[in-house]
Amino acid sequence: MLNHLPSVALAEHPATTPEMQQAIEQYLYCEAQLLDNREFDQWFELLADDLHYYMPTRYNRTKRAAGQEFSSPHEAALFDEDKQSMSTRIRRLHTGMAWAEEPASRTRHMISNVQVHPTANSNEIEVDCCFMLYRSRLERDVDIFVGARRDLLRQADNELGWQIVKRAVALDQTTVLASNLSIFF
Amino acid sequence: MNNPATGTEFQPFSPDSPISNEQLASLVNSEQGKISPLIYQDEAIYQLELERLFGRSWLFLAHETQIPDTGDFFSTYMGEDPILVVRQADGSVAAFLNQCRHRGMKLCRADSGNAKAFTCSYHGWSYDIGGNLAQVPFEERAYGKVDPAEWSPTKVPRIEHYKGLIFGCFDKQVPDLETYLGDMKWYIDLFLDRAEGGTEVVGGMHKWVIPCNWKFAAEQFASDMYHAPVSHASPLIASMPPDMDLSQVGWPEEGRQFSAPEGHGTGFFFDTPEFLFPMLGEEAANYYVNTSAGEAIERLGDMRGRRMNGAHMTIFPTLSFLPGINTLRVWHPRGPNEVEVWAWTLVDKKAPDSVKDAYRKAVLRTFSSGGMLEQDDGENWTQIQKGLRGHQARNTTFNVQMGLGNDTHDFPDLPGKTNYVYGEMAARGLYNRWLEMMTAKDWSELTIPTGDEESGHA
Ligand code: FES
Ligand SMILES: [Fe+2]
Repeated sequence: MLNHLPSVALAEHPATTPEMQQAIEQYLYCEAQLLDNREFDQWFELLADDLHYYMPTRYNRTKRAAGQEFSSPHEAALFDEDKQSMSTRIRRLHTGMAWAEEPASRTRHMISNVQVHPTANSNEIEVDCCFMLYRSRLERDVDIFVGARRDLLRQADNELGWQIVKRAVALDQTTVLASNLSIFF
Repeated sequence: MNNPATGTEFQPFSPDSPISNEQLASLVNSEQGKISPLIYQDEAIYQLELERLFGRSWLFLAHETQIPDTGDFFSTYMGEDPILVVRQADGSVAAFLNQCRHRGMKLCRADSGNAKAFTCSYHGWSYDIGGNLAQVPFEERAYGKVDPAEWSPTKVPRIEHYKGLIFGCFDKQVPDLETYLGDMKWYIDLFLDRAEGGTEVVGGMHKWVIPCNWKFAAEQFASDMYHAPVSHASPLIASMPPDMDLSQVGWPEEGRQFSAPEGHGTGFFFDTPEFLFPMLGEEAANYYVNTSAGEAIERLGDMRGRRMNGAHMTIFPTLSFLPGINTLRVWHPRGPNEVEVWAWTLVDKKAPDSVKDAYRKAVLRTFSSGGMLEQDDGENWTQIQKGLRGHQARNTTFNVQMGLGNDTHDFPDLPGKTNYVYGEMAARGLYNRWLEMMTAKDWSELTIPTGDEESGHA
């Protein structure tokens, strides 16, 4: 369910080449691995300076009001971050006093249903995917987050060849069934 | 197992004998600052809370600006009871159980929206927006007549408003809302009345679940400035310039705490506006500390307009605010071991759009399920609650003694009973009121005599 998220994908475009599909999938897996390995500083290096990392809130609506299922840009969001606020979040994790991550969560990002779409900028592509994020904490706490993601990736001079310019996350919950969102999606 | 009040063996509740007032009184000793953790954990006590405490208190329903137009509704809870709050054609607000009178189906399953009527999706009984039965399918042939006066959803009999907030109470006897708020009114104006036009909610809200008793959250917002330097050290360090460390930032030391005999509480620092900047960012903090301060001082005086900073507060039992940071939340109880947090961001209606948006971001980054401060609060409460599964742990008395003996009614420029900002007077006040509400026969035993600030003990 991504059609509500703003898209810059070209309406009509040639099918992605198998090489491109493969390269982008590998990129997403590597990126997810950085998070699951808690290599947050390396992950941070993948974020563009003009980053927008966003997760709207979500509501139960009647069919008549279905257009309002997701919060609009100026309403309450679960995340609405720029590069600086992400840097604060990551610095916080390094303090050893971010109690909701001390001891740290065990996370596993499963990425699937990857669709690659060219945009009007030849060095940027839009990538849709689904994710399942398993988080286990302390003795026996478990949260499972499922949703969809729309990323805008830009070719970059970094180890993995791409950086994240935009990430919009549609979480498939209205009431968040976890005691916090102390992890990255 | 000793209980805190009497030092004697505690008599466990049995399913077939109701909890006596003596048993309840043995769990809370607000004079000595001792609490039995059973009040956070016991299912029978929880059921009694739903009846005696949530059934008799003024509870927050919605902010006026959530339901501006006729037929606008918001679906909420009073305790665990589902409630529809609906704007009427004459501008008033109706609230009633979100429950069909035929067989109890939930009438409306949307979180909010606009309705012309509420039609039950089970057999089709239909109600108007005031919660009156309007139509019954096949009524004449199947029933003859179904009397709307008898078969409409249970109404919330008392609804009152205070500066943008709509409250409801299921107990007809409850004193009016302003009496119920008592001296706390003076303190919450710091949040609700800084600017002409009052406040509005930023659209949308946060809802999430914390596996802990509702009282941990309510108490902390009423009374606990003490946790901030430890629990919330990490976001502070993270927002400091890289060349600074924690030893260079002293946590504020000057401030007061207030406790109302009605159970409300608040605490705040004096003259520490600089703390808002790392927390909120430049734009929102500058609006609060500078741009809007002149008008706030004019309306509220120097103490509330300028000097009180970083306030936390709870309106008994479950409505909490952080003025300045501008989060408003309700702790909806979900059994003794779980709370559902419903949180909004409030802004001055007249604030520029850019400030409203800065506040929206500031609050979601600090106080929401993903907020950098909020995460750590939930962690504390969750781990306390887990421990209470243990028989020994839940029969180990908690210490609520900070500031015992230091209450005063004479602090300059502050109404009511106050104490040092790092204290637990307001927690003792909250638990004392909890006990009064849990043991009183009816509101005639609960009304605080005006002019008498001291609360009695049940
Ligand atoms: S339960 Fe509502 S009409 Fe039957
Ligand atoms: Fe806190």
